[in-house]
Amino acid sequence: MPRTWHRWIPAAAAPVAIGAVVLGGVFATSASADPADKTPQQVLELAASSTVDTFSGTIEQSSNLGLPDVSGLGGSTGSSSDSSDGSDLTSALELLTASHTLRVYVDGPTQSRVQILDDMAERDAIRNGDDLWLYDSNDSTAVHSTLPADASTAPDASAESLTPAELATRFLDAVDPSTEVTIGDPVTVAGRSAYDLVLTPDSSTTLVSSVEIAVDADTGLPLSVDVFAQGSSDAAFHVAFTSLSLDTPSADLFDFTPPAGTDVTEKALPNRDDAPADGSVAPDAGTHPEPTVTGTGWDTIVELPASTDPSSLTDSPMLSQLTTSVDGGHVLQTTLLTVLITDDGRVLAGAVPVESLQAAAGK
Amino acid sequence: MSSSDPTAASLVARRTRRSLGVGFFASELAVLFRRRRTWAMLLALAAVPILIAVAVRISSSGSSGRGPAFIDSITQNGLFVGIAGLTIAIPLFLPLTVGVVAGDSIAGEANTATLRYLLVSPVGRIRLLVVKYLAAVVFCLAATLTLSIAGILIGIALFPVGPVTLLSGDTVSIGDSLVRSLLIALYATVSLLGLSAIGLFISTLTDAPVGAMAATVVLSIVAQVLDSLSQTEWLHPWLFSHYWLDFADLLRQPIEWSSFGQNALLQLGYVVVFGALAYGRFSSKDILS
Repeated sequence: MPRTWHRWIPAAAAPVAIGAVVLGGVFATSASADPADKTPQQVLELAASSTVDTFSGTIEQSSNLGLPDVSGLGGSTGSSSDSSDGSDLTSALELLTASHTLRVYVDGPTQSRVQILDDMAERDAIRNGDDLWLYDSNDSTAVHSTLPADASTAPDASAESLTPAELATRFLDAVDPSTEVTIGDPVTVAGRSAYDLVLTPDSSTTLVSSVEIAVDADTGLPLSVDVFAQGSSDAAFHVAFTSLSLDTPSADLFDFTPPAGTDVTEKALPNRDDAPADGSVAPDAGTHPEPTVTGTGWDTIVELPASTDPSSLTDSPMLSQLTTSVDGGHVLQTTLLTVLITDDGRVLAGAVPVESLQAAAGK
Repeated sequence: MSSSDPTAASLVARRTRRSLGVGFFASELAVLFRRRRTWAMLLALAAVPILIAVAVRISSSGSSGRGPAFIDSITQNGLFVGIAGLTIAIPLFLPLTVGVVAGDSIAGEANTATLRYLLVSPVGRIRLLVVKYLAAVVFCLAATLTLSIAGILIGIALFPVGPVTLLSGDTVSIGDSLVRSLLIALYATVSLLGLSAIGLFISTLTDAPVGAMAATVVLSIVAQVLDSLSQTEWLHPWLFSHYWLDFADLLRQPIEWSSFGQNALLQLGYVVVFGALAYGRFSSKDILS
């Protein structure tokens, strides 16, 4: 045997070599050229002046909201329940709690396509001019809407709001004196060097501990968004490009014709600017009265008045599993967001502890 | 033992490479495909899509709402039968047949006491391993192609055929869809390379081919069980079965190639590691049978 020990050298070397390649890849990504130093204000301006509206890329999204993964509970779609509140809720929770890989193709403000890549299935949201298509391969259904002619600031498909750029814009628009803006070490996202913008709420009552946004050094396009909750070092919500191309995507992608055998539903859009176009995510906004907003900055609490049928919310078996009973109602507690459903049917939500919601509900 | 001595072996190998390399591989393939067992396994694999198609044709009760949606859609388009067959066969039937071929590769020769004669004739041990592995790879390709082609043929026979709807909702021509079916068969072949290497290594450990086959199949099942447990999530990207069912990415528009690349890289890693292990074991082992 001593004569033959060297024949095992390849077997010992192979894992070492593979480990070296894997680790080398990690180091290579962290050792890219750092962008020029900028102040937080300059990076904010860079992001605000970003003019990239033609790109395609792959996005990874994951959440750690402290909720159980409900993707297996009801499926993402409810063809039989016909987008009732229950299935809306299921798909909303599915979007929030499961991890997703998305592909986005954007050519200008009026052409976009977002694909949510599920296992053996796919959900697509395609916007081509005034046409908005939602396609779900799981049950071969499509929803078609025509955007109103004056909707230059048209509502985005809900899936699109998961892109880092959309999400980052929301946070950046909300930057106010209650937010401390700093710059972290430069990062590399999707092979591009980026500034790491750190937004820290200057408030002790919010659940958000910080928000990190990677802003592309070249174009100012936000490449990733990480939202951190109080008391956790892992991102509670993470969305980032894993690959990004600034080339114009092929025009065929936006030209969608529902395939034969698809159930096509025509759906009129609610005539409100901020209404979600995708009925599968938010409950039909048209039937709900205006929400009231109290508080400012990170402590903002949104209150929906009692809906016409409060029992539809509290009777949902899934909701009763997810919520806990508190004084004055039921509460859905995630690491980032608290939702209080009061006994009289009002819904209060905010990135604040439940006590703040109860106080607001008591007013 | 002169044939196992590296310098002598490489001298012999160099002198006889041209005549031996191809010839030995061809004869190994001939042995593999002359076996009744090989044909039985290929026929069993071909029966998978045929059974699916016949069962769906007979029941034809419409959407059952279970399983991947495109199993339902084979009633609308027969070209999906091949893909549906692969989906069913990938978790168990394909690993089973590959485990039989790869597990038998060395241990089978040892068991029938032909291994030492193989090595007495001027065949280096490395070459024997490489040729055995390549034969297993050819079998993987034959198995996935058999499944796909049998599925497509039975689909054409029993169901209407037309342009194919992809997962993205786009529709592609029949020719394009046949290319994609071929790509999916290739993807499944690549997926099985790692398992073949594992089977080859296990086959060098023992003289009992049944043990090597069983161990290979069990490993493929263990890997899939681990892959479905959320507690072992850190391990998932390293399991050779992790990307097995991701061939669905080839049914998107445009094709998502990243899973193909990741899968190929992962399988390459397994081939390198277990190939090296098989070399270490086989070149240092005393061949007694």
